[in-house]
Amino acid sequence: MKFQVNRDVFADAVSFAVKLLPQRTTLPILSGVLLRAEGDTLTLSSFDYEVSAQTAITADIEEDGTVLVSGRLLSEIASRLPNAPVQFTTEDNKIAVRCGSARFTLSSMPVEEYPSLPIVDGPAGILPGDAFSDAVGQVSVAASRDDVTPVITGVQLEIAQNRLSLVATDRYRVAVREIDWESSAVAEGVTALVPARTLAELGKIFGHSAQIEVTIVTGGDRELIAFSADKKTVTSLLIKGNFPPVKRLFPETVDNYAVMNTAELIEATRRVALVLERDAALRYSFSVDGLTLEAIGSENAQASETIDAHLVGGDTVVSLKPQFLIDGLAAVHSEFVRISFTKTDNPNKPGPVLITSQSSKDQPGADNYRYLLQPNLLLR
Amino acid sequence: MRLVIARCSVDYAGRLSAHLPLATRLLIHKNDGSLLVHSDGGSYKPLNWMSPPCTLTVEEPDDDQREAGVVELWRVTHAKTADMLVVSVHEVLHETAHDLGLDPGLQKDGVEAHLQKLLAEQIELLGSGHALVRREYMTAIGPVDILARDADGGSVAVEIKRRGGIDGVEQLTRYLELMNRDPLLAPVAGVFAAQEIAPQARTLAEDRGIRCLLLDYDAMRGLDDGIPRLF
Repeated sequence: MKFQVNRDVFADAVSFAVKLLPQRTTLPILSGVLLRAEGDTLTLSSFDYEVSAQTAITADIEEDGTVLVSGRLLSEIASRLPNAPVQFTTEDNKIAVRCGSARFTLSSMPVEEYPSLPIVDGPAGILPGDAFSDAVGQVSVAASRDDVTPVITGVQLEIAQNRLSLVATDRYRVAVREIDWESSAVAEGVTALVPARTLAELGKIFGHSAQIEVTIVTGGDRELIAFSADKKTVTSLLIKGNFPPVKRLFPETVDNYAVMNTAELIEATRRVALVLERDAALRYSFSVDGLTLEAIGSENAQASETIDAHLVGGDTVVSLKPQFLIDGLAAVHSEFVRISFTKTDNPNKPGPVLITSQSSKDQPGADNYRYLLQPNLLLR
Repeated sequence: MRLVIARCSVDYAGRLSAHLPLATRLLIHKNDGSLLVHSDGGSYKPLNWMSPPCTLTVEEPDDDQREAGVVELWRVTHAKTADMLVVSVHEVLHETAHDLGLDPGLQKDGVEAHLQKLLAEQIELLGSGHALVRREYMTAIGPVDILARDADGGSVAVEIKRRGGIDGVEQLTRYLELMNRDPLLAPVAGVFAAQEIAPQARTLAEDRGIRCLLLDYDAMRGLDDGIPRLF
């Protein structure tokens, strides 16, 4: 094998291919990245039986061939190479990398033992890259990180009528966002449960792509989802199990709500929460005079602050965990935010609050992001 | 076990000397001969004590002592050293004795046993369609915590730990190797169930085809942490 490739293009491709590789693996060959030179295309791929990544770049190929080298090492080398064309040649069992005046020799691993990547075929749908990246950022924060309940460590993707909805929950909150989805072939009602960590990486990888092609392969022995754009493809196994029907937890109508400036509320929450004990909740009192935040429950220090709020409906007091509220507030991406209050008959469980975007004081936001948060019990 | 509440002063003589002035205290005289002097504070820690082997003798006070108000003199002598604890009792306010019998001792693995019982009762935590065969399934090298059948009728051996470490995975691997030789059971799948599983143990287990299952002890025994959830 012998080829020459542009340094920046190569570094970018290697960094993509190794991004989803596991830190430590029990099968050392899975820590490698497979380089295949054929015609005028260099294909880079990685696979750990759960997640695969593949990309193709144009290269000046003198001799076809396939090699497997340590992914992390190659990625670190590629990112530090001087600004000159990169040359690859195989010499016996070694791979020589030359770039400007720098020389590297790497060991190659046996290509025959490397597993073949999953083949993706089936009806695909199209997503806009920026909206997808946005939605992943808004929703994946609510996914559970607790392995006790593996089903909710994923983000549920649901397809319905030119819309794709993303849902995540950790039982204390639920985040939902719908984005455009173009497909003639994918059946309605198809769902895919994707590990939240992988999806978060995907959001970063494809954030600048105009269109992402998404294929969901279900019903077979291995259920997987594939995302591809700009000659980059990532596949991930789906989490097995049934996602809880959390969408029905959202209230149909609410007539009691308050509108605040988002940044002001985040700042005030961060300030007042400084005196809180770990995991404690803040008390939010909404009235016609505004919103008062109070930190109680700590003996050594207390704090309070009042900010402007436009209240519709009766006065309300809720106790919320500051981080959970900030996660929702940071995700609305609008200047103002609406917090709606729901009623409940259960004295041991306050009604959940709903956080939605608001483009001005009296104009609801254009997007359909919804974040439902369960308040704690009021302590006094 | 003899409990006495008394107004007393205490002197320790021997390798170190110490004096406790007159005050009301709790004296515990245990069946092993030891005597502990407690105040109303300091948690489990006595003000002074004599460890066994030792003997307690009750003496009449001499005239000087009687004049000072002493009604009884308790002398606890250590059998091996010359250490001595002398309690000058001025007034006995309360006295009671009970036979406690033999103590069963502290059960450190109580949680593990309870987890086994709870998982056997909630066997569906292994996955839908699972059925319990029996707890403590005996093999030639020891009992497997739980033997179950999955939805397709395949055998599942479960090893339960509080904290799952490498050694627990090794233990389950040995059981699985042995059980898979039994034509009536084979193939036997392994499940490593614990409240928490070390990352290295998880990697080793998954590499050997053993499924890892995290158990939420509080949820299994129906305890609520008091923080409301949406569902």
